[in-house]
Amino acid sequence: MNYVGKRIKRNEDPRLLTGQALFVDDVDLPRMLHAAFLRSDYAHARLKSIDISAALQRPGVVAVYTAEIMGEEWKPGPALVSPPPTVENVLFNSRTQVPLVKDKVRYAGEPIAVVIAESRYIAEDAVEDIIVDLEPLEVVADLEKALSPQSVLIHEDLESNLAAQMVQVKGDYAKARQEADLIIKRRIIIDRGAAAAMENRGIVADWDAKSHFLTVWDTTQAPIPIRNGLALRLGLSEHQVRVIAPFLGGGFGPKMMMFYSEEMLIPWIAIKLARPIKWIEDRRENFYATTQERVQIHDAEMALDHDGRILGIKDNFLHDTGAYDPYGLTQSHTMGAYDVANYYSEIKVVFTNKMITTPVRGAGRPQGIYIAERLLDLAAKELGIDPIEIRKRNFIPPDKFPYEHCIIDQAFSPLIFDSGNYQPVLNKAATMIGYDQFVKEEQPRLRAEGHHVGIGIVSFVETTGVGPYEGARITVQANGKISVATGVGTQGQGHFTSFAQIVADQLGVDVQDVQLVTGDTAEFHWGTGTFASRGAVVAGNAIHASAVAVRAKILKLASEVLKAPEEELEIKDGKVQVADIPHLSISLGELATLANPLRGAVEPGTEPGLEATAYFGPKYGATAFGTHAMILEVDTETMMVEIKRYVVVEDCGTILNPMILEGQVHGGVAMGIGNAYYEKLVYDENAQLLNASLADYLIPTATEVPRIVVGHEETPSPLNPLGTKGAGEAGAIPVPALFAQALENALPEYNLEILESPLSPNRLFELLQKKEKSQ
Amino acid sequence: MKIDGEYIFKGPREEVWRIIRDPEVLATALPGTKRLDKVGENEYQGEMNVRVGPVAGLFSGRLVVSKEVPLSSLTLTVDGRGSPGFANGSGNVILNDQSDGTTLMKYEGELQIGGKLASVGQRLLDTASKSMIHTGLEALDLALQARVAAKSEGKEVEYTPPSESKFAAAVAKDMAGQMLSSRTVWIIIAIIVILAIVAAVLISRAH
Repeated sequence: MNYVGKRIKRNEDPRLLTGQALFVDDVDLPRMLHAAFLRSDYAHARLKSIDISAALQRPGVVAVYTAEIMGEEWKPGPALVSPPPTVENVLFNSRTQVPLVKDKVRYAGEPIAVVIAESRYIAEDAVEDIIVDLEPLEVVADLEKALSPQSVLIHEDLESNLAAQMVQVKGDYAKARQEADLIIKRRIIIDRGAAAAMENRGIVADWDAKSHFLTVWDTTQAPIPIRNGLALRLGLSEHQVRVIAPFLGGGFGPKMMMFYSEEMLIPWIAIKLARPIKWIEDRRENFYATTQERVQIHDAEMALDHDGRILGIKDNFLHDTGAYDPYGLTQSHTMGAYDVANYYSEIKVVFTNKMITTPVRGAGRPQGIYIAERLLDLAAKELGIDPIEIRKRNFIPPDKFPYEHCIIDQAFSPLIFDSGNYQPVLNKAATMIGYDQFVKEEQPRLRAEGHHVGIGIVSFVETTGVGPYEGARITVQANGKISVATGVGTQGQGHFTSFAQIVADQLGVDVQDVQLVTGDTAEFHWGTGTFASRGAVVAGNAIHASAVAVRAKILKLASEVLKAPEEELEIKDGKVQVADIPHLSISLGELATLANPLRGAVEPGTEPGLEATAYFGPKYGATAFGTHAMILEVDTETMMVEIKRYVVVEDCGTILNPMILEGQVHGGVAMGIGNAYYEKLVYDENAQLLNASLADYLIPTATEVPRIVVGHEETPSPLNPLGTKGAGEAGAIPVPALFAQALENALPEYNLEILESPLSPNRLFELLQKKEKSQ
Repeated sequence: MKIDGEYIFKGPREEVWRIIRDPEVLATALPGTKRLDKVGENEYQGEMNVRVGPVAGLFSGRLVVSKEVPLSSLTLTVDGRGSPGFANGSGNVILNDQSDGTTLMKYEGELQIGGKLASVGQRLLDTASKSMIHTGLEALDLALQARVAAKSEGKEVEYTPPSESKFAAAVAKDMAGQMLSSRTVWIIIAIIVILAIVAAVLISRAH
């Protein structure tokens, strides 16, 4: 292997940095029309009537659609994954989003009508011409009130606002509790956040009436499922639909939501009108129209012995799914990286009059890790054990892998941690941040000088690279360059480089000579998408398998041409040569031409070309692990924090490209800092979003994101030939827990207990005020 | 959102009552008001152009007056909606004589605000609403004084209502001064709408 593991500069960067990369909004077609949506201001209201006559009269308006106009073609969206299997202890009420409001608005921002016009300006003006009569209903905004028998119902055909319920049991928590020396029991609340991708969503649909062919450019993380779903919905064959997910300015999960109202409507209207239609979400819309994440109320407890060993964890929690639950039931756990013998969790998923929630980078792990790490921190304080020591005492030991958790994972199969070695990662992070030296020398000195400095260190696990499968087709072209097509989309992960490195190692070419196409169903149309930190694991290994197959074809043909046994051949610098006789060689381009002859015959049982398609599907997800450590200082006047040092030590198995990996980690940490201390979607008691602009919803900027030092350990996954594990989400996962620990450590005089996330300077001020008052 | 405050009119209570129930005066005192029509015994409908920061558009409102004690107090219930969002709620207005011949208006109410008004204008809502109310009341007070002066001198009323730009400038100045206090614009708008409605009701009933 030559390239895998090296810091190779990204193949895609010249295109991105010089503005040559195609994004959805760059698509500009002749006769293209533009769409704008009328969205409800009310969170819960009965739709009495819509008058579109004035809008239709506005010059430049081509059409207006409402649920009524859609008639028979109006139907709720498909569930993203099939509802969970009906097993014991699982209840699931599937209620999927609708293309346009028919009878009742269920969240503020829900689309009521769409205007199609010659320009976006005209379309937006015409949206204001529409007169809608909405009768406001009582709003369901609070999770606990939503479940009370007195609550109004969001879906009136259900008995309550309970969307799903599930119990997970491992061992016997009640018994563990009886035997425990210490019980830490707390209510922990996690509030809403947005993914806030730099690029909002967008879609362009073009129907070619003469060839009966639909082309859709979509900011989706899952172009193939979108293609399949659209074909089914529109009554077309899959080969009549091409979905292209070009370059995306970030995905982070919400672009994996399938099907948004706009995704269902724009292609449908393009066919109706036989004209291309473009819709680009604006930033304000993004706050109303793109899914969000994470309101949860946890009543959690941890049972420990006097040595700080966890005997069991129990967690009863409520989760806010918003007005619909198209994403199905995807559950993480609150056991962290620890060897927990007894576990009981009960989730109740609740419908509210708010935007739908779906996984955002981290996908439940930031919450689950927050619970585990917070409870452990509080236990450590109670027992007088050092935070690092209590973690070491509880880590799953390396000889226990594969570690069977005896509960089910996000895909409703058994949760198993494939491999891991946690202590070296923690030790390395502690060394890199200078933990002992800081606690013994630096912190006392700085405190004496009046600085509120604190240190935090937390660990996380993440199951990554889940199935079902991905595939790739690799072709050696006549010009000697290698073309690779895979189904996953790309949102900035560096696929054009890390995947190329895998291929280059097998086929003996330069990384720059590997040309990758991702996210275009015309190029490759089997697969699922880019989510759940699975690109490098699942697509990466499919590409590897495909490259291995092409390599075999190259060697077989070259052996015939060069009249030398395959074992004596090597592929190097784009040529196949006989080892030790370098002048006896043939270029890959020439071989490709020979493999696809114009004369003669391709032997029966063989295939033309140097091409292979291969697939990879892991048995279950590979579990990555890491430790984050941070030193911060709090300004107790302004409650702003300054991060003095930030260390990440990451074990995501085999590293394909450390530079790309570090970029992913940096981005994740930045997002985590936002989730921990700046970003919160504030809703009032009527489920009105109060900060739907980037002036009020604060995402971290260069000033809030420190220099991040990244260290690596490599415990290869036994589940795939490359040994890779996912890393795309990891950076974001432990940051809220880390902030909580470091803030408590920085402000010992307040004896703070932080039991919520996200925090903010304002919120920290309030917490300190409360403490001052109560003391 | 809670709204409360008071304002001293430089004139007697009867005149204040009369002026706040004169829809024409009210409409001019709150520039942007396109119309204010009586549609029932205690019910009014109006339209008003509202602009707060990045949020602008036409608001249609319905105002209901109840619990009226002539010359003294009333309750206003408002339900306004338009492209910028919606505002509904109710408030009480009380007029009291002051020993120096002036009139003290006290108002308090509760508003629910939604849509862009709430989500984008939130930060400016409080300041904007207070300022709009204050500026509107000041304009009413000027009209009142013009009326009182004309009465005492037996002349025609000389009063030029503030132009929309003057009004906007006054609000902008107030807001700039209070920006740091945060979350306000839409509250202000809502308050203004409510006050406008209240004033309209009062005026029309005075006739």
